[in-house]
Amino acid sequence: MARNRFVRKLNELRRDLIDMGAITLQSVKDVLTALETSDIALAERVIANDDKIDNFDRKIESQCVRLLALEQPIAKDLRIIATSFKMTTDLERIGDFAVDIAEEVVTMGKPIHVPVSASKFNELVADVKSMVADSIETYAQGNVQQARSFDTRDDRIDYLYRDIVNSMVNALAQGKCSTDTVSDVASLLYIIRYLEHIADHAVNIGNRVCYMEEGERVYLK
Amino acid sequence: MSGEIEISVKNLNLWFGNFQALKNINIEIPKNAVTALIGPSGCGKSTFIKTLDRMNDLVDNVKFTGEVIYKGRNILASDTDVVELRKEIGMVFQKPNPFPKSIFDNVAYGPRVHGIRDKKTLHEIAERSLKGAAIWDEVKDRLNESALRLSGGQQQRLCIARLLAVEPDVLLMDEPASALDPIATSKIEDLLHELKKDYTIVIVTHNMQQAARVSSHTAFFWLGEIVEYASTIDLFERPQNKRTEDYVTGKFG
Repeated sequence: MARNRFVRKLNELRRDLIDMGAITLQSVKDVLTALETSDIALAERVIANDDKIDNFDRKIESQCVRLLALEQPIAKDLRIIATSFKMTTDLERIGDFAVDIAEEVVTMGKPIHVPVSASKFNELVADVKSMVADSIETYAQGNVQQARSFDTRDDRIDYLYRDIVNSMVNALAQGKCSTDTVSDVASLLYIIRYLEHIADHAVNIGNRVCYMEEGERVYLK
Repeated sequence: MSGEIEISVKNLNLWFGNFQALKNINIEIPKNAVTALIGPSGCGKSTFIKTLDRMNDLVDNVKFTGEVIYKGRNILASDTDVVELRKEIGMVFQKPNPFPKSIFDNVAYGPRVHGIRDKKTLHEIAERSLKGAAIWDEVKDRLNESALRLSGGQQQRLCIARLLAVEPDVLLMDEPASALDPIATSKIEDLLHELKKDYTIVIVTHNMQQAARVSSHTAFFWLGEIVEYASTIDLFERPQNKRTEDYVTGKFG
């Protein structure tokens, strides 16, 4: 095997991206726990931890640029770098949405009371969490089959998102919300929008993994 | 492959004595495009392009089977006029090889061999050819100076001008920039982009990035065979064959 140094650098890049994925996933999990339990301190930790994700983003971007400039990668090596370069932005954005949710949790400062189906909301939360976890796993393992399943899973998330929005809008229209809960509804509308965006970035990661492994650009959405 | 085909190679096999240097080569070379040939040393790339203008005939004990169809005829046929063929399909070599004559005489050499004697005509051809090879501005005031006083990059462009002077259709280039510095190399590469509008170009190169930069199609040769032939972007972004992948990524070779 030639180009040992390059192969080592490429492996380092992949490890860093997986590490970035792990802390991003932890932020998503933590913020959803904070939301569920109204844990302000945990939400604030998520906000503080975003610096780590941003630092990884900058580090990985510069690793990619350096490898492109100095090693002239080709074929799968090139696709790994191109995928990592784009995927770091997806992870960084997921981290930002976790911060946005955390800020809502801090602003609300108390358990939320909203007139929507808890089971659908819980399903949305669980689905988004598992999509993020699985997207990072697909990258780590190059699991194209799993990546391709994201399309259908995202359809379900989009359905739940629209359904919950409709429920809340109807509740507002029918005057079912007290003055207190109106602001909770507003916060929750933001939060589920952020969750839906997080799932979109997970789908992007799945698409990029398909490209990395097979060379075909796929656009599942 | 879409577009017009300049040269169509069918089941080409070539032996030097008992050694088979080319094995069942099938390739269609597109007209007015640059086709790059890559592969490790000794894989048959140079032997292959030398077959396209019958330069291998100069080697003892060479024998070949198959067909190289150019302008509707098999140029491997024994009745091919190789002098005429080499006017239509010219070759540029790795090391610039200008004649030890003036710049003008280098370019006028081919037309003179083909019977052109009129000075005005020869001057027109020289100017057109030197312009075509993007060297006119550098030499127009010193046409009578020895070509050997030019830099390596200029000599190589002069050799290209010398080829253009006999109005070929196809330019074969065997590592034309490997002996040149990066600036001279980029001038040759820019020139290839210009020349392909009027000529069909086949280039052998060991420089992957050069192949990627200049060509529309790339063939990967290995042990006398074409392992993969595809559009350059496909070959460098998503090679289909594991050996191609390993070679272009530098994992072997």
